[in-house]
Amino acid sequence: MKRDETTVGIVILIFGGVTTLLSLRMPIGTFRAAGTGLFPLLLGIILMILSGFFLLNLLLRKEKELEKKEAPVEAAPRSLKPVILFLGMMALAALFFNSLGYPLVAFLLMVALLKILGLKRWPVNIILSLATAAASYFLFVQWLKIPLPKGWLGI
Amino acid sequence: MFESLQGLMNGFGIATTAQNLFYCLMGAIVGTLVGVLPGLGPIAGIALLIPATYGLNATSAIIMLAGIYYGAMYGGSTTSILLNVPGETASVITCIDGYQMAQKGRAGPALAMCAIGSFVAGTIGIFGLVFLAPPLAEAALAFGPPEYFSLMAFGFIVLSNVTGTSLIKSLMMAVVGLIIGTIGLDPVAGDARFAFDYAPLLGGIEFVAVAIGLFGIGEVLANVERPPEVLGQRVLVPRLRELFPTLQDLKRSIGAILRGTGIGFGVGLVPGPAPVIATYASYMTEKKVSKHPEEFGKGAIEGVAGPESANNSACQSAFIPLFVLGIPFAPPTAILLGALMIHGVTPGPMMIGQHPELFWGVIASMYIGNFVLLLLNLPFVPFFANILRIPKNILLPLVILFCITGMYTVNNSVFDIWMMLLFGALGFMMRKWAYEGAPLLLALVLGPKLEAAFRQSLMISHGNFGIFVNRPVSLVFLLGALIFLSAPLLKPVWRRAQGIRRKGG
Repeated sequence: MKRDETTVGIVILIFGGVTTLLSLRMPIGTFRAAGTGLFPLLLGIILMILSGFFLLNLLLRKEKELEKKEAPVEAAPRSLKPVILFLGMMALAALFFNSLGYPLVAFLLMVALLKILGLKRWPVNIILSLATAAASYFLFVQWLKIPLPKGWLGI
Repeated sequence: MFESLQGLMNGFGIATTAQNLFYCLMGAIVGTLVGVLPGLGPIAGIALLIPATYGLNATSAIIMLAGIYYGAMYGGSTTSILLNVPGETASVITCIDGYQMAQKGRAGPALAMCAIGSFVAGTIGIFGLVFLAPPLAEAALAFGPPEYFSLMAFGFIVLSNVTGTSLIKSLMMAVVGLIIGTIGLDPVAGDARFAFDYAPLLGGIEFVAVAIGLFGIGEVLANVERPPEVLGQRVLVPRLRELFPTLQDLKRSIGAILRGTGIGFGVGLVPGPAPVIATYASYMTEKKVSKHPEEFGKGAIEGVAGPESANNSACQSAFIPLFVLGIPFAPPTAILLGALMIHGVTPGPMMIGQHPELFWGVIASMYIGNFVLLLLNLPFVPFFANILRIPKNILLPLVILFCITGMYTVNNSVFDIWMMLLFGALGFMMRKWAYEGAPLLLALVLGPKLEAAFRQSLMISHGNFGIFVNRPVSLVFLLGALIFLSAPLLKPVWRRAQGIRRKGG
């Protein structure tokens, strides 16, 4: 737990550092006439101070005390696999959103997500996905007249 | 006073047109659904529906979006009582006594009292809004950039203090949000910042993508990770005739409803997730003033009526800082600020004068919306409860599909979908490591305003930081911020002092 907390603290510290460095490349100006980089520069410095304080606090506290005080809300180790698969499928949907078109992407995405969540029977999966894709197509494209990518199917 | 009443009457004229009644009803229905469905809260719900308002005028748009916010408060209690699963965070406390009542076969009166309490509180809250907003707006006219800067700083610090488990974590999230808010064009000089010559970044990060990502996708991913049996319980749906509370129930609840309304209204005016804090404060108060404190936790109706009234009146009063100062104090109203800006309305002290039809129309619609919700929630409770029978493994993919489609329609941009996914993954990790999304989102929305106020103040003072402490109102906000900032440090000292006193006594 403490290692996880420390890693997150270091990532935030690096984020603050990068913000500070990138801001320094912009015109800073003076407090009287602030340049583009002044505000993000101050924010980067504040973030580094806060994350530094956070890390220092972690270092000073005993491991046991930390476990007791900041027991994570999600204590039980749960499977990350469906989460990563979910994100992967959504990323694929974004990647092919324009080229495949909305109806096809909606159908394929539903098939994949339902499968990941354990819907084992293929006919049920296909029918549900088809129904959802069709219903959302009629809702967004036909009824609300939202221009969604047509893609391969041309609809 | 007379002007306010006249404004409200005109507002009713605007809110009762067929179009606005329709959007009020839509908002109430969507809000109830969003409240009922675990995994989709009012923040993601409002953000998702913003693109659907593009073709509407600002008044109709805000009538619908505001309806989602307060509608979710009604819907959230249904799942708390029937399933012991809060539909949204403001209904967590309702689980304690609500579910116990349901277990004893008294789900009907619990649900009815929630709806009645919410209606009474919502109505009183609206009257508070009507009479308090105009004089406050007048007072806020005297605010200059230093006052706005200090008020926003105060807001961030109070919000960070009251959300999550750690002040420093929430503060870090607020600063991260402010940094993300600087991406794009500098609001003053017009130069690009952190855009890396990539055109889609020039417009900045779309706040809708951050809202749906953190609060929609993040929540769905957290649900995906959970074991599937969590939502597989039997839903105890009461029949319509079982909904009527007894005279005894009403007698016991009336005080709780009125106290809850007062607490909620007060809490809604200060920064923080007002409806959530209001429910806790109301529950504690009811337990303290009750003649039967031992019944709390075992199905006391006051423990349902008080908090449910509190979250509704907090919802109404949270509109005061948004409309009067143009500064939202919590994410749902921050999303509404974004929606107002999309429709070309800048809320603030001038709003009542510049857009009276919007201000009074929305307020009148809230009254109608509360009435619609009362009608919607009592007879249709069995219908809404049945939605929970849809298996989670079908519901979650549907929410994802809706999020992706909704996100694309904001700007017809696949880049926004990528941003939403990025913030979805971030939201999921933040949940795992107990970081709060609310300060990040609020900071992202308010960032440009904060920067403008900061730079303008220093321009006025020729670079002298004394401007923030030399002006009394600004000084008060900064002192308030300092108190909240030092509260976690002072808490152990205070406890020790109390311990010594107790030992001494």
